[in-house]
Amino acid sequence: MADKIEKDVCCDAKTNDTCCSGAARTLILACSGGSNVGQISNNLMIRLNMEGIGNTYCLAGIGAALSGFIESAKASQTILIDGCPTACGKKALEKYGIEANKYFVVTELGIKKNHDFNKLKDETDLALILLKKQL
Amino acid sequence: MKIQILGTGCPKCIKLAENAQVAAKEAGVEFEIEKITDINKIMDLGVMLTPGLAIDGEVKSVGKVLSVEEIKKILKK
Repeated sequence: MADKIEKDVCCDAKTNDTCCSGAARTLILACSGGSNVGQISNNLMIRLNMEGIGNTYCLAGIGAALSGFIESAKASQTILIDGCPTACGKKALEKYGIEANKYFVVTELGIKKNHDFNKLKDETDLALILLKKQL
Repeated sequence: MKIQILGTGCPKCIKLAENAQVAAKEAGVEFEIEKITDINKIMDLGVMLTPGLAIDGEVKSVGKVLSVEEIKKILKK
């Protein structure tokens, strides 16, 4: 994935890395949809960020066709988490020719899609374990 | 047109600004250069890697020092 980063990258804005270090973090995007699995995708994004695997990023910015978000996603390593096979996140990236370096669908991790938000924490914990096995 | 250089002011940001200036002059366009060095403003644009180049508010490139020729191609679009 590192090959995707240009050698003359100056610095990673979000983490305020030393300028001109050539460092670049992975951007994590989640569909953050309205079902349990959509919200689990968002939780997973946050948890991966907290574990230092990458930085949370705005899929909505790409969906809104904001150029800075699109260009940053193109220039970075990306992990995309969709909640369900509708794959809104994947389709949003495809509109701009972006393919995530790592792609996960929460339902494919064994979580059933519904609108019950009472079990989000347990479902997120389980999904995180399963997702990290595939990272 | 407004050519915006997104970066905190490191040598690569400065080089990109120089290249942009040369490119705009060679392309014969009226321009002004704006250097955006505030990291929060840069991130508000969604830019995660610097240096970045924006034209009239639209980000065209992030994380690389574009050559004069590359910038001229962008200006002509």
